This record gives sequence, structure tokens and C-alpha cells, in this order.
Amino acid sequence: MKNLSYTLALFLFVLIFNITDIKAQCNAGSFAEKSISKIDDGYTFLKSYKIDGQGGGLDKVEQSYVFSKDATYQLNITADGNETDGIIVSIYDSNRSLKMTSFANGKFYNKVEYPCNATGIYYITFTFKDSKNHCGGAALGFKR
Amino acid sequence: MKKTLLVALLASMVLFACGGDKKPSEEDFQKSLEEELYDEVEEGIQQLSGEELNALIQIIPSPIEISFLLRELGTTYDKSILNDPDNVSNYNTNFKKALNLGVYGTDLGYTNIFEQQQEALYYLNSIKDCADGLNIGQFFDFATIRRLATNSSNLDSLLLITTRNFNDINDYLQNRKRDNLSALLLFGGWLEALHILNQVLVKNPDSEELKERIGEQKIISNQIVLILGHYGKNNPNISDLHKEFEELDNQFRKVNIVKTQGEPTFEEVNGVLRIIDNSSTTVEVSKETLDNINRLTKKIRANIIS
Repeated sequence: MKNLSYTLALFLFVLIFNITDIKAQCNAGSFAEKSISKIDDGYTFLKSYKIDGQGGGLDKVEQSYVFSKDATYQLNITADGNETDGIIVSIYDSNRSLKMTSFANGKFYNKVEYPCNATGIYYITFTFKDSKNHCGGAALGFKR
Repeated sequence: MKKTLLVALLASMVLFACGGDKKPSEEDFQKSLEEELYDEVEEGIQQLSGEELNALIQIIPSPIEISFLLRELGTTYDKSILNDPDNVSNYNTNFKKALNLGVYGTDLGYTNIFEQQQEALYYLNSIKDCADGLNIGQFFDFATIRRLATNSSNLDSLLLITTRNFNDINDYLQNRKRDNLSALLLFGGWLEALHILNQVLVKNPDSEELKERIGEQKIISNQIVLILGHYGKNNPNISDLHKEFEELDNQFRKVNIVKTQGEPTFEEVNGVLRIIDNSSTTVEVSKETLDNINRLTKKIRANIIS
């Protein structure tokens, strides 16, 4: 009986440990999915991005895409709650020159528009500023 | 005691193993790949890291942007420039199926944007055949797509769901280390978009915008030649495609893209941050180069869709 109690206690420990571990994981996919639904009317969805900063283990998450001249791109960020949880999206051109950032005048924007005048490879970089969960999602749409 | 402990641990392992998110036909999918591409491509992946390859593949833009441009320019829908949906019966290898899944994806986007509902259904059937043949048909919600495709007022939803399905496939393939197939799919889609642009230019030879858009494809061509070169190392089919593509890339190298740098300015509109980029690009490309790009694109495409 004592052995059985010990075994059950161990089983519960394993169970709780795993549940805690699962909760700590970043479900970036669901945030990315929510971001798709936030794309404004008139924009056509292109890509969604999972932003998993691995609990602060990563300084940035980077993607790249070819933006076309005369198209306007919209990026939105979704994180836990209504705000961006300190996630900033920045766009750099192929020369790594900063073209756009969603953190301006001390304010985090969860939606940004970028009318592109120069076709080329752009780097879409997600960074974290005082982020609690380092976890979110984003979606990219375009219109002509 | 040890036995009971073992049972408890096994029970907990089984409990959490059930929480995985495996797709239903993953086994079938893996099997189909192993038949043809797995052995050949596995060695080729060694040269570039998975991260580097994914970054290269990510760059390839959605062909849907080209179709929007063509509609905006006021060009008319031309069925004759697309791949015949009936050709799908010719595609008996995974190599051909993956390439033509991309080709048909672009054709579907083009027919959708030009509101050709009946044509779109034909392309949808061909996509279904290719996707089922590769055991990735579960990513397409064909019933919903068919319903949406019958009414032009559903265009936004239709584009959203098809783009999402194609993105899911690419994510799935890349996460399963089968990015070679993802690369072929994206390449087929991009080449078809380039072919459509070329053919529309033939009918509208004075369109500076079309010439510029074709010239701009140099940026993507540079990436694709790297991708195909990588996978072609140990795959004869991809190696042949790479050799053919190098000829086309050599033409794109003659295109000159001139960039003028400018400082961006910021403004806030209804709570959305809008950035005005004052940089610009201009494209310099000769008629001879455009003709060569058209000729070589046709040649590569003919081998893909035959």
C-alpha cells in the first residue's frame, strides 16, 4: 500500500511537471493564426509568422520576403492580451538599412503599413523589448 | 515496486505521447517521398544548413501578387497561356507532381482573380490530383474551396484559404526536412507567374510596367539558382532543371536594377503606423534580354508541364 502511494505520488509529479512544461511553451502558431484574421479589408493575405523567442533565449526572430514596388504591405502583431507584449517588428532592406519599425515615439504599434517603392529582398525582424512571454504571431498582407 | 513504478512512468509517457499533432496521413506521405526523392536529395541537403535553405525558400514571393498586378493593368484573362488542367494525368513522378502543383497553384490564383469560376474548378481538380499523389491532399479544404469558387463575391475568402493551404504545405514539408519538395512547389509557381508575365508582355509590348516587373524577377532568380544548385547535387532531375535554369539566370544577370536610397518618413493614420519609404528602384532591361527570358522560360516550362 505504501509502495502504491509512493508510485501514485511520483506519477502525479510527472503529470504536473509535464503540464507546467506545456504551459510554458510558446504557442506561436495560434497567435499567427489570429493575426491572419486581423488583416484589414482590402489587403490580401500572403504569409503568417510564428514568433517564438524561446522564453527570452532568442534576441530576434527573422524572416525575409521580396517586396514589390508600388504595392503596400501591412504587418500586424498578435501576442497575449491586446498589446504586442513588447514585440517589435522592423523591416530592413537588403543593405540592412532600417526601413520601418513598429516602435516609434515610445509607442508599440500592433499594425504597420509599408508602401514599397523599391523592389528587393527585405528582412522582417521581430525583437523583444521588456517582453513578458517572448511569444506571438504576425501576418503579412498586401494591396496594390 | 519497480514494476509498478515502470507502469506509472510508461502510463505518463503514453499520456503525453498522445498529445502530439501528427497529421493523419503522415506515414503515407513519408512513404511516397521515399519512393522517389528521399534517397537522392538527402545527401544534397548537407551543403547548406536547414536554416539557410529555409531562408532562401522563404524569399520566393507569392505568385498571387503578379495576378493582382495584371488585373490592375487592365489586361484580359487568357486561358491559352496557362497549363492545361488535363495535363495532370501525365504527371507520374513526385518530381513532376510537386512542380506542377506549384504551376497549377499559380493558374488557380490567376483564374480566381479574373473571376473565371468554372476554370478555377478545373484547376482545383488538378491541384487535388497532384496533392493527393504526394499524400498532402489533407492540407486542402477542397469542399470549402469549391463552394467559395462558385461565387465571385467570395474572392477574398477564396484567396485567403488557398494561400493558407499552400503555406501550410510548405511549412509542413520544411518542418519534416522535405524542403526539396517545398522548393520544387514554389519554383513551379514562380516560373508559371514569370511565364504569364512574359506572355502578357508579348501582347502588350509597350508596357514599361510589365518590362520592369519581369526584370525585377532577377532578385528571385538569384535565389532559385542557389536552391536548385543545392538540391541538384545528388538528384539528377533537379540537376537537369538547375542546368536549364542557369541559362535563364544568365539572362537575368544582364538586367540592371538601380536603387536610389532615401530616408523613410513616418505618419500615424487611425492608429496604424504608416511608413513612407523614399527609396526607389528602376530597372534597365533590353528587348533582346526580355526575348531571351521569354524563350528560356518557355523551354523550361515545356519540360515541366509535358
